[in-house]
Amino acid sequence: MASLITCPHCGTRPKEEFSIRGAAGPERPSPTARDEDWHRYVYVRDNPKGRYQEHWHHVAGCRRWLVVDRDNLSHEVFGVTDAAEFERARVAK
Amino acid sequence: MSFHDLYRHVLEDLVTGFSTDRNANHLAVARRPAILSVLAAAGQETSVAEALHAVENAAPRFCGPSEWLLVSRTLSAEHLADALFDIRGALVVDQSEGKVLLSISGPAVRTVLAKCVAVDLHPEAFAMGQSANALICHLPGNIARTGDDEFEIVTPRSFAVSVFEELLEMGREHGLTRNFTE
Repeated sequence: MASLITCPHCGTRPKEEFSIRGAAGPERPSPTARDEDWHRYVYVRDNPKGRYQEHWHHVAGCRRWLVVDRDNLSHEVFGVTDAAEFERARVAK
Repeated sequence: MSFHDLYRHVLEDLVTGFSTDRNANHLAVARRPAILSVLAAAGQETSVAEALHAVENAAPRFCGPSEWLLVSRTLSAEHLADALFDIRGALVVDQSEGKVLLSISGPAVRTVLAKCVAVDLHPEAFAMGQSANALICHLPGNIARTGDDEFEIVTPRSFAVSVFEELLEMGREHGLTRNFTE
């Protein structure tokens, strides 16, 4: 159990308790946005090497969606926030 | 028809038939506990949490933000649900038939649990009454500290046999015994 994620609700837990969904970066376009925008949102991903933000679900813990800011090369974790707070912060921006 | 035929416990066959004396390290299965799932409406999390802690003869177990399990060995689920009816913003569902309550205790309890629970259970890290949702023997459950060397595990009924057998296996080197408690 090498990879430890510090859940804001449950504390430090092994990665086995989580399920990873994918990049948290893409912003959902408005329902009336062009098809190209929707295509980009649904299918196109950058797949960067290094630091990026991902949606993780704490399946075996608090069952909350989290946003894990981590380096996918070294797996260094820079921060974990609740996805609801992450979205609120993004809207407020 | 006896009471135990009417309410047959899922671990009935695994517990009965072994008439060993209770060791220091022991796993007790509560025969018919009341376990209620409580959700708090948005914005009422703190008031619901306070009200749950004030309920007598029952203990709230933290599952996540705005979610708890309320566990009682003495009160019936109906009685507890009635007591919670007055709490504003609390949504209550009886889970007694769907969950199994295990109590593991003894001087070696932390050594046994360290093999299958990835939560720091050191007395200084996990205070009395504290609880957490976690993987228990590879299956999601809730673990709570109820005594100096005593922990309670709430696990879904369908996972109970697997969790129970694995706990016994983990505790075999410490002579873990088992029985039913009322």
